[in-house]
Amino acid sequence: MTSTAAVLAQQGDLLVKPEVEWVAITPLLVLVGGSLLLLTLSALTTRRPRRGTYALFTVLTCAGAIIASVALWDRVQDPARGEFTALVGALTIDGFTVFFSVLIALSIALAALVADDYLRREDLEGPELYALMLLSGAGGIVMAMANDLIVVFLGLEILSIALYVMAGMHLRRVESQESAIKYFVLGAFSSAFLLYGIALVYGATGSTNLSEIAAFLSQNVLESEGLLLAGFALLLVGLGFKVAAVPFHVWTPDVYQGAPSPVTAFMASASKAAAFAALLRVFFSAFSNHASDWRPIIWVLAVLTMVVGAVLAVVQRDVKRMLAYSSINHAGFSLVAVHANTERGVAGALFYLLAYAFMVLGSFAVVTLVGRRGDAAHDVDDYRGLARERPVLALAFTVFLLSQAGVPLTAGFFAKFYVIGAAAEAESYALAVIAMVTAVISAFLYLRIIVTMYFAGDEAEGDAATGRHRVAIPFGAGVSLAAAVAFTLLIGILPGLVADFARDAVPVLLSAAP
Amino acid sequence: MDVDATWYLVLSALLFTIGGAGVLVRRNPLVMFMCVELMLNAVNISFVTFARMLNDTGGQVVVFFVLVVAAAEVVVGLGIIVAILRRQPGADADDISLLRG
Amino acid sequence: MDDYLPLVVMFVLAVGFVLLSIASSKLLAPSRPTSAKDAPYESGIVPTRDNPERFPVTFYLVAMIFIVFDIEIIFLYPWAVIYRELGAFGLVEMLVFSVAVFVAFVYLISNGALDWGPLRRSRRLDGTLDGNRTSSSTIRRIPSRTQVEGEAAPPAAREEGASREAVAAGAAVGSTSEASTSTEVPV
Repeated sequence: MTSTAAVLAQQGDLLVKPEVEWVAITPLLVLVGGSLLLLTLSALTTRRPRRGTYALFTVLTCAGAIIASVALWDRVQDPARGEFTALVGALTIDGFTVFFSVLIALSIALAALVADDYLRREDLEGPELYALMLLSGAGGIVMAMANDLIVVFLGLEILSIALYVMAGMHLRRVESQESAIKYFVLGAFSSAFLLYGIALVYGATGSTNLSEIAAFLSQNVLESEGLLLAGFALLLVGLGFKVAAVPFHVWTPDVYQGAPSPVTAFMASASKAAAFAALLRVFFSAFSNHASDWRPIIWVLAVLTMVVGAVLAVVQRDVKRMLAYSSINHAGFSLVAVHANTERGVAGALFYLLAYAFMVLGSFAVVTLVGRRGDAAHDVDDYRGLARERPVLALAFTVFLLSQAGVPLTAGFFAKFYVIGAAAEAESYALAVIAMVTAVISAFLYLRIIVTMYFAGDEAEGDAATGRHRVAIPFGAGVSLAAAVAFTLLIGILPGLVADFARDAVPVLLSAAP
Repeated sequence: MDVDATWYLVLSALLFTIGGAGVLVRRNPLVMFMCVELMLNAVNISFVTFARMLNDTGGQVVVFFVLVVAAAEVVVGLGIIVAILRRQPGADADDISLLRG
Repeated sequence: MDDYLPLVVMFVLAVGFVLLSIASSKLLAPSRPTSAKDAPYESGIVPTRDNPERFPVTFYLVAMIFIVFDIEIIFLYPWAVIYRELGAFGLVEMLVFSVAVFVAFVYLISNGALDWGPLRRSRRLDGTLDGNRTSSSTIRRIPSRTQVEGEAAPPAAREEGASREAVAAGAAVGSTSEASTSTEVPV
């Protein structure tokens, strides 16, 4: 017994005390702190707060996180100081981290503004959705800054577990609960695959730290690569599920359709971006010298994702399902950029994700409003004559849809342009051609919705007969929509701003901490 | 008696497969959910085995995190399942299929 | 090896006692079952199907809450082992961790997740439920407003109103917002 104690004492001397760089994780701290504060305050006050207090608090928290990110950006871009690892090499703080912190914080803010009125309308008001959104976003940021596979896993779980609850938030809609359980079972299933992939990579390389894995792989030649390759494949299954890549997409339409619309907006923007962040961080920066092993898999995934997403979107009747399939198609485009495995490709993917976040947030904001009370009016026919009833709303939706289709002067055009450019540069011409073809196929879908809004339904008295309520545009959602439209057009007219941002945000792999 | 570490990896792979097959085959949400837990814990065996083979404590620490994550998942999962079963007693995966396109 | 002898004796005794009890009750007790005796109600209506089991959702809630707090403790053990080496740093870290865990606890209490008696107060129930309802009762009272304005309510809300006769309620977290149905219509 005494010997054990002696050994322990010896180890105690050798123990490296971890250093916590609090500055490095300020965006994260702001989001998590805001969420905890929101829960505590709402729990301790008995009076019902004024309308919109929770949403305002959420938006302010996000603003705080963005300010903290901008401060970090200055430090990271300063050549004298540059990128650094924090928490004993578990996190990398670089432009990439900041980029995704900003993206995710913006998504939360816009989704919270839409959620504000939605919750009041559906009589679900409470701080829970906002707190969960903030926590989930924090998980997404953890994924983006992870420099360790286990941190990726933890981030993914923080992101997902909050999302499972958010999907089932609408207690009176059976669809909402159904989507929650589907998302939950399939999500847990896929994260088990991800974890097994991490275990195999750990077994093959002896570390879960991305820097150490990269160093190990560049210095050693593995006797048998079976373990490592199986690990890659399982990691791709896990992350592919989150980004909704075909054939791991089956959950997407059901969950997007069933979840409360503002939650869907958050899911499609922040959650997808975070999953891509992890994918890029792991495969582009850590496993880049094994690119010949994983690029073919990504190639197949990208083609399947784009084609299936575009084709199945066209045959849907429910607008939420259409947008779900189109989000699969967009994930395929981002995968094309990942496949390029060049800095330009990554910058293209980042641009795409940021642009897409605004388009999809805006689209689902419109869907939330048109869904009306009960969150049920999502059939294409429910959009009949929207242009006459609410011209501004219809115009905003048109902008988002045209942008998703990739029409010039909108963000979507440059997003697709950069991605296809990166693919061409990487000499994957087949992929570029397939991408363009699917863009054309899915354009048909967006046009169909636009046509329905503008040209179908001249039966002005038809609405009165069905007793449909006029679509309301509450203040919060209005602000959110205006911001989304502004960003979509701004990026479309001045793409340079975001392109520069994305170019400086390519992830770096710092050598293992000494 | 010395057991080769490889056997533990085989055990882990087997348990993982059983869990995976369970999720796909069984229709009861609760059982599907238990199968997912089986998969996570199978991976834990892998982690511990690799940690032992590599002489590295990192793999063992991972198990802590996985356990906590699994517990959080249990709670959320049970919450969702209870909410559904209260609405439709005895519901299974085939009953929960309102959403399709 | 001798040290283990008491343990072995103890084990044998324990197993022996259990076996003996089971065997003796089987052998000694008279057993003359009849079909009437086996029925749930010896005199009364013959049951045609199993009783739906009802028990308060509070049980589930407590179990779930227990799991969370139970598992968080896992992090305290490794911390306690190297507590001295970590010093102030470890203390601060653990404080941060505990605060984060206990915020959840505060939230639970304020939502009445741990109330077993009559529902005291809940922010979001004001006016929609009467105070006689307990968090562990299985009968839900239907707010009368829904019925009055039922026609104006959209299908989803109406359907909910209909399926409400005697649903097991009780989970404070679940039922708080579930039970309240206002019928404001967005303009």
